Amino acid sequence: MQASRARLFKEYKEVQREKVADPDIQLVCDDTNIFKWTALIKGPSETPYEGGVFQLAFAVPEPYPLQPPQVRFLTKIFHPNVHFKTGEICLDILKNAWSPAWTLQSVCRAIIALMAHPEPDSPLNCDSGNLLRSGDVRGFNSMARMYTRLAAMPKKG
Amino acid sequence: MDDEYMNYEEEDENYSLDDDEQEDENYNEAEVDVEQVTSTKSTSQVITKKSLVAAQKESLVRVMELLSVKENQARTLLIYYQWNVDKLLSVYIDQGKDQMFSCAGLTVFDPSLVTSKKTMNCDVCMEDDLPSDVMTRMECGHSFCNDCWKEHFTVRINEGESKRILCMAHKCKAICDEDVVRKLVSPELAEKYDRFLIESYVEDNKMVKWCPSIPHCGSAIRKIEDDDVVEVECSCGLQFCFSCLSESHSPCSCLMWKLWKKKCVDESETVNWITVNTKLCPKCYKPISKQDGCNLMTCKCGQHFCWLCGEATGASHTVQSIAGHSCGRYKDDKVRQMERAKRDLDRYTHYHYRYKAHTDSLKLEDKLRKSILEKAVSNAETKDQLVFKEYSWVIDAVNRLFRSRRILSYSYPFAFYMFGEELFKDEMSDEEREMKKNLFEDQQQQLEGNVEKLSKILEEPFDEYDHEKVVDMKRHLNNLSNAVDNLCKKMYECIENELLGPIQFGIHNIAPYRSKGIEQATEFCAEICQTSDCGSSGSS
Repeated sequence: MQASRARLFKEYKEVQREKVADPDIQLVCDDTNIFKWTALIKGPSETPYEGGVFQLAFAVPEPYPLQPPQVRFLTKIFHPNVHFKTGEICLDILKNAWSPAWTLQSVCRAIIALMAHPEPDSPLNCDSGNLLRSGDVRGFNSMARMYTRLAAMPKKG
Repeated sequence: MDDEYMNYEEEDENYSLDDDEQEDENYNEAEVDVEQVTSTKSTSQVITKKSLVAAQKESLVRVMELLSVKENQARTLLIYYQWNVDKLLSVYIDQGKDQMFSCAGLTVFDPSLVTSKKTMNCDVCMEDDLPSDVMTRMECGHSFCNDCWKEHFTVRINEGESKRILCMAHKCKAICDEDVVRKLVSPELAEKYDRFLIESYVEDNKMVKWCPSIPHCGSAIRKIEDDDVVEVECSCGLQFCFSCLSESHSPCSCLMWKLWKKKCVDESETVNWITVNTKLCPKCYKPISKQDGCNLMTCKCGQHFCWLCGEATGASHTVQSIAGHSCGRYKDDKVRQMERAKRDLDRYTHYHYRYKAHTDSLKLEDKLRKSILEKAVSNAETKDQLVFKEYSWVIDAVNRLFRSRRILSYSYPFAFYMFGEELFKDEMSDEEREMKKNLFEDQQQQLEGNVEKLSKILEEPFDEYDHEKVVDMKRHLNNLSNAVDNLCKKMYECIENELLGPIQFGIHNIAPYRSKGIEQATEFCAEICQTSDCGSSGSS
């Protein structure tokens, strides 16, 4: 069996075991393809994303874990390091700082951390980055909260 | 223009009319002297495929002896410090061994990380209870199973990252031990890995560059001294600029030449694609395309820049360093640029026409050289006088012709950029520009007139001439060669003192004028080879 497949099975088992331990992350493997995963992550508290549930799509490459998985947001999110249209994420560990010791689960944790601590100095969403860079935290928060309400929360009534 | 030329001829004629033979001898002696001086002062060497290992070894041995480290450690250090032994040593003195080692990704062995457990876990494949003999611990202390290491090395080598294969652990900056890599990967891959390590000596070394010949001759050129811009000739015959690796282009600066070439290729599809999809790095001017990620770009050369405006920024791309960017600001200039475009095109056509005319003449170089050589040889075979037997004077003149014609042809793109607005718009006032342009064009015209004259005399059927007439022709050629040489020298002086000298933001270094033509690199011979040679000759 391929190394990547074997490793993904291990991760799958691990995920089943840890489900209760980390209620913020819900990783699901595609029924027919172990290289496709989706995750639901909860917006971290005390951020404009609080209360939202965001969906991530994982595409795992053949040489995984030697190469990082490709991850993007399926849920629209207003965040300096996430492309507003494509959901692409600018995160060092998904690019050159990747290490095979990372797992899909730990990638989710890193993304949650990124949501709580945006890096406005390397923006993928310039409008969002500029708001933070110019010190308009209030403007940023209200924009981000609006999109969280619109896209990441169940519609009321 | 003609007047100028006549002046030269008359002066020289008066000077050398009386005793031809003596003058000739002096001339030849002078030539020989210059030859000797330049050959002893060779500043570049050719490193062939065979001597590459020896050349690398030279640096390795120096570091191994000075720091008493193993060969693989020396190599890792040198790759990190780009084969600059002096820089490495200064870091060693300033910051100490530990700091230098950890920067380069070498860790000093730490026995406390050794575990005595019989079975271990591999964090990559997540297998538990692996016997310790299928695990390998790197010097940084991280252990993973051999299968995972092997996969990791294979992927990295195939991705062309042989030179810096990092440990698999998160945030661990340690470089994997060469010997472990070689032991674990397949023999073919180990070979590839070794090749990358050896070639690093050229790829990462500021002082060594591959000869840009196509097809590649396999050699690299090493500069002995870290001087400014030079042009060299490889043993394969190719003359190129050591800075930008394109064909020799003095008196154009590398940037001028690059812009000119790009302009000349015109609107081919490739150029279109490159203009639309890439931005030039503000430091090394390589075109860069963006695939994904944020707008902070990092070029291979280490320069950071903003993708939106293309301007250089700091690594952190902070609020401060991005200030002053005109990112996103509409420029009124664009409109005026359109109007200027037509005038620019006319200008370009003017310079390009002249550049092309001389370049085309150069293309006939081989043919002319051959036909002149034939005439000279047939003279030497059939006639007795010294001037026929010893025909280096005509060959010298041919070489002078091509050398100066090359300079002449490149002086047109130089003038195009020097007096255009693309590069030096704010560097001088309009009057100043006009004045300098006239000065330069005068010199250019003088040179051009003399080069054409030289070319015309060389085409004379001197194999049909009698002795007197050939002596006369020789004298003419000598005088003209000297005149052309002087004019080239003067033109370079003018460029250096009047034109590029006062430019404030100078990245426009040009290779200096060399009367004897572009320097030929000498063959590299490693000291190791030499000593082994000595040994063998001593025993025989």
